[in-house]
Amino acid sequence: MNGRERVLALARGEPTDRLAVMPVVMMFCAEQIGVHYGRYVEDHRVLAEAQVRTAQAFDFDIVSNMSDPAREAADCGARVEFFEDQPAAIVESDALLADKAKLASLRMPDPLGGGRMQSAVESLRLMKERVGGDKALMGWVEGPYAEGADLRGINRIMLDLYDDPGFVHELSDFVVELALRYARAQVDAGADIIGIGDAAASLIGPQFYDEFVWPYEKRLVEGIQAMGAVVRLHICGTTSPIVASMGRLGCEIVDLDHLTGMDAAREAMGPDQVLLGNIDPVGALRDSTPEAVTAAIDRCHRQAGERYVVGAGCEVPRDTPPENVRAMVDYARSALC
Amino acid sequence: MPVDQELFDAVRQADRDRVAEAVRAAIDRGAPVSSLLMNSMVPAMREIGDRFAAGEVYIPEMLMAARAMQAGLDIIEPLLGTSDHEPIGRVAVGTVKGDMHDIGKNLVVMMLKGSGYEVTDLGVDCPVEKYEEAAAGGATVLCCSALLTSTMTYMEQVVGRFQKDPAIKVIVGGAPVTQRFAEEIGADGFAEHASEAARVVSACLAGE
Repeated sequence: MNGRERVLALARGEPTDRLAVMPVVMMFCAEQIGVHYGRYVEDHRVLAEAQVRTAQAFDFDIVSNMSDPAREAADCGARVEFFEDQPAAIVESDALLADKAKLASLRMPDPLGGGRMQSAVESLRLMKERVGGDKALMGWVEGPYAEGADLRGINRIMLDLYDDPGFVHELSDFVVELALRYARAQVDAGADIIGIGDAAASLIGPQFYDEFVWPYEKRLVEGIQAMGAVVRLHICGTTSPIVASMGRLGCEIVDLDHLTGMDAAREAMGPDQVLLGNIDPVGALRDSTPEAVTAAIDRCHRQAGERYVVGAGCEVPRDTPPENVRAMVDYARSALC
Repeated sequence: MPVDQELFDAVRQADRDRVAEAVRAAIDRGAPVSSLLMNSMVPAMREIGDRFAAGEVYIPEMLMAARAMQAGLDIIEPLLGTSDHEPIGRVAVGTVKGDMHDIGKNLVVMMLKGSGYEVTDLGVDCPVEKYEEAAAGGATVLCCSALLTSTMTYMEQVVGRFQKDPAIKVIVGGAPVTQRFAEEIGADGFAEHASEAARVVSACLAGE
């Protein structure tokens, strides 16, 4: 099986020849081809080149166009700061929806309208040309609460939960529609998988998550699946209080951050959920040794059981020793499913 | 001095209007402002911080409580300057250069204010020069926050700048930051969670 066949078989619940390996790699890829991260963020050709070369060199099963959280927000008109060698970031102090009244007149951006979303779509097209048959192509969207935070400001949207719940629902309607349009453009460009990153969702506790986030994530997941793509959900941070709800979303792959135990996730989500992760990207991967990486991944695998994909808990840090990353891949190659 | 129960409850319940009313009422009764802060607001914030650390409340509740406390501080702070109140320490907190994330930094600011420190919020994307300005302004503890593995490395420059100044302590924290990293770059302290920040600052100031 090649990487694409392996990932798609896994998502369909079919047997695979070995474990799949799908780490989140962005800055690590830029480092591998010797470019500053600012170029990776801003030039889709550089992103595609870095992804393809790194995935081939390390034998990852996927390539991805994710780079920073600010693509959709930028195309909505949010002020975004670009750095020479860091991810692009939204300027919260000048958030687009600092004034809530602006939501009513906010224009839904066209993902193919020449902005940052289109750049990410173009990178998928390039990657499809290069490795489309061999690697699974993964597009990316911001999850509903994360994108709401990007537009409104994360501090404000936390207080909105108490001050103006109706606004949070209205904003969530808008951002789910935006995410579905962006996902559609990426699927049309060849994405096999759409990742949903909803980092801010781990900060609000289970009651708010169930009321203000889960219904919108569910709508997004079902919409992407209706396009024929596989869904990978990643929520950064401590997800233990919401992990059972995450399991009810019906995502093909749940990618766990390292702060949630794989054993607890398995117990909460049942035997069929594919779980991905989740070694500590800093302590257990970057600042580690190949032997210790192997042991850490083995622990995750044993806790997760058969329905498991090798990866770190979050992005692989850019200065991770390549031999440690290879140890992850070697584990996937050698371990029995 | 005894706790002002109404103020304590109002902060704990994150009711900013009630906090402001309770502070005004207490001042009208002649209560010392320093005592309102240290004996009523600080214990309330400590309780909320403990509940956060225990996973009983989450970020929205922390920010609501911080906003309520600030409503009281807005009244109290101008009066503290005219009283004989001395803060237990002067601290500056910022997210390091290249990093725009501020939730963690804001929680640290709140927990330190809620512990009785005088806190300067340096904001996000802070170069070494911002920490220098804070130190020149009287801060003796500088707290550096980062969310990204790629930006936390900048903390080394802040630590390096003040390494030869024993009067200035640099504390680091943030999701990817570890004790090992803090030791490697020579930081004076490391806080794993925002709720630990006050304890670590206190230990640093005590020379531990």
